[in-house]
Amino acid sequence: MSGVQVTRATPIGAVPLAESIHEDTTAKWFLLSSVAYFFVVGIIALTIAAKFVWPQLLGTVPYLSYGRLRPLHVNGMLFGWLLPADLGLAYYIVPRLCGVKLWSEKLGIATAALWNVIVLGAVYALPAGYNKGWEYAELPMPLVALVVVAWVMFGINIFATVATRKYQQMYVSLWYTMATILWTTFVYSTGNIAVLFTTGTNQANLNWMYVHNAVGLIFTPIGLAMAYYFIPKTSNTPLYSHKLSMIGFWSLAFVYVWTGAHHMLHGPISQWLQTIAIAFSVMLLIPVWTVVYNFFATMKGQWHQLRDNVPLKFLMSGVVFYLLTCFQGPMHSLRSVNAIVSKTDWIPGHAHMAVLGCFSFFAIAGCYYVIPRMFRTQLHSEALANWTFWFFMVGGLGFFVTLWLGGFWQGWQWNNPSIPFIDTVVALKPVWTVRFFSGVLMFLGIATFLFNILATVVGRGQAVASPKPVAAVTA
Amino acid sequence: MLQKTDKSAIGFVIAALVFFFIGGLLTTVVPPLVDKSWSKPFENTDPSKGPTGKLRPYTDVELKGRAIYVREGCWYCHTQQTRTLLADTKRSGWKGVDSPVSTPDEFVYDSPHMFGTKRTGPDLSRVGGKYDRQWHRTHFRNPRDLVPGSVMPPFPWIANNDDDFNALVAYIQTLGRAKDWRPDHDYEK
Repeated sequence: MSGVQVTRATPIGAVPLAESIHEDTTAKWFLLSSVAYFFVVGIIALTIAAKFVWPQLLGTVPYLSYGRLRPLHVNGMLFGWLLPADLGLAYYIVPRLCGVKLWSEKLGIATAALWNVIVLGAVYALPAGYNKGWEYAELPMPLVALVVVAWVMFGINIFATVATRKYQQMYVSLWYTMATILWTTFVYSTGNIAVLFTTGTNQANLNWMYVHNAVGLIFTPIGLAMAYYFIPKTSNTPLYSHKLSMIGFWSLAFVYVWTGAHHMLHGPISQWLQTIAIAFSVMLLIPVWTVVYNFFATMKGQWHQLRDNVPLKFLMSGVVFYLLTCFQGPMHSLRSVNAIVSKTDWIPGHAHMAVLGCFSFFAIAGCYYVIPRMFRTQLHSEALANWTFWFFMVGGLGFFVTLWLGGFWQGWQWNNPSIPFIDTVVALKPVWTVRFFSGVLMFLGIATFLFNILATVVGRGQAVASPKPVAAVTA
Repeated sequence: MLQKTDKSAIGFVIAALVFFFIGGLLTTVVPPLVDKSWSKPFENTDPSKGPTGKLRPYTDVELKGRAIYVREGCWYCHTQQTRTLLADTKRSGWKGVDSPVSTPDEFVYDSPHMFGTKRTGPDLSRVGGKYDRQWHRTHFRNPRDLVPGSVMPPFPWIANNDDDFNALVAYIQTLGRAKDWRPDHDYEK
């Protein structure tokens, strides 16, 4: 484990020698722009949640109708906030785990610029109605082409950095980052390019392979790369087991890709393929439980740190949400459970716990940890960061739990055909109202996060001049 | 073998791709080769085997309507699959007649597919022929005028544009119609 060196707190303002080789310009650009998009897309998220409560809201403006804002919300959160935040963090951790500078900072900055072009293109195209009609793959083809170019640029930079590494042994975060680069190339091409040559059920099968693995083989491995780096770092504790991390990684590599067809259970797709997808979905418990056990075991004797270490709060809550999401997933794929929850509001409750509760929590923790270090300063306010955490936690739980309860109830009602469909819609209205107000809390979380990050960057000179007590800060 | 992959980047890359491609190929490339019903359009002339009928390609007007359905994101809230669940066949049914379940051969001409993942509004896989043009016009203008309690957005820019409206209704009336499943054949145009 030569990659992660646990260092004691360094005095503020003094840059350790090993740190001084890193420019981090690429990481800064990626992280700051992704945090800004998090805020902008948060407004879209609140708007579409409000439309469930007040369906006439902005109803006569085509560009702001639900069917056009929803893809902007989903694509904006996935490809405007979460993925570039994870890329920014990768540009930070990979050079450090390799003990060398990033291979090309210029290439990295160009990648960040291109990524911003893609996001701004999506912000125009989706409300304007340029929607290809596949979930997670709505973006028009010219933007898809740019995503592919940006991905190759990212991949070259990371692999070239790994190739020039000083430490021969690669820490687990490096495997997950490299694997994300490899798998995403094929997963993204399947969902955005291969679908063009197919129709009907065949196309849907490719689409679900992509949708499922966008979470399973893009956001999961890059998110776990961050968790494996930041949990030991922020808690100043070595990882519990190298062997467990290998079992978790290779079982994920083998199992995840088989499960796409579980999105079509009971639907117009071959029964045997549904059964295969179910079997492999249940096997996902193996990689998930090994990874989660590794993190919990790392924290043994260190739980007291959760009292005042905000990044660690985000990380360990994210791990708990990961465990819960990935328990739900295999259970949904059982035919009997699926007959109740599939297509209901339970599903957005589940999806938000994965993408927000787990992977966004990891990314927020990463931002709170690396941004003060990259700018050689202190976080603007630990107290505000703590508010960020509780806004997200309370808002998130309100969102997840009400949608599970509501969705489960909705599923039972659907399975009783004597209840007219519209009654099952009206029954959900209180649930959608709670969801909206939970969304307001989560948006306050985003707002405090953005403010804290910006204040840290803007006020960086002052923090060095008048150091605050550093008891709560671990380097 | 895998224990060496944390020291050799090339070994790692090869192993990661091999692991991925086993499941990747077996679940994407192989299934359509094994199950021919994914690519053969529905056709049945024998009533003893279930509803008769034939899947025909979309006309230009229907394709235009379909493009509007895709553009406006109708598919985020309406699924198009009557699943193999009793409740689905009842809910997709009409006037006491249960609907047949959806089969892959009914969707061979669909691109992008519109199966959907979320059912905020009712499933539309058998909606073709259930409601007439005037019903749809009123409904698109303001869904709550016909269905109190609905949360569907209004679409005045479609209801007030005859070309777009007619194309969209033409598409909606095709949904589920490859199978002639209603005993009275009383489909609205």
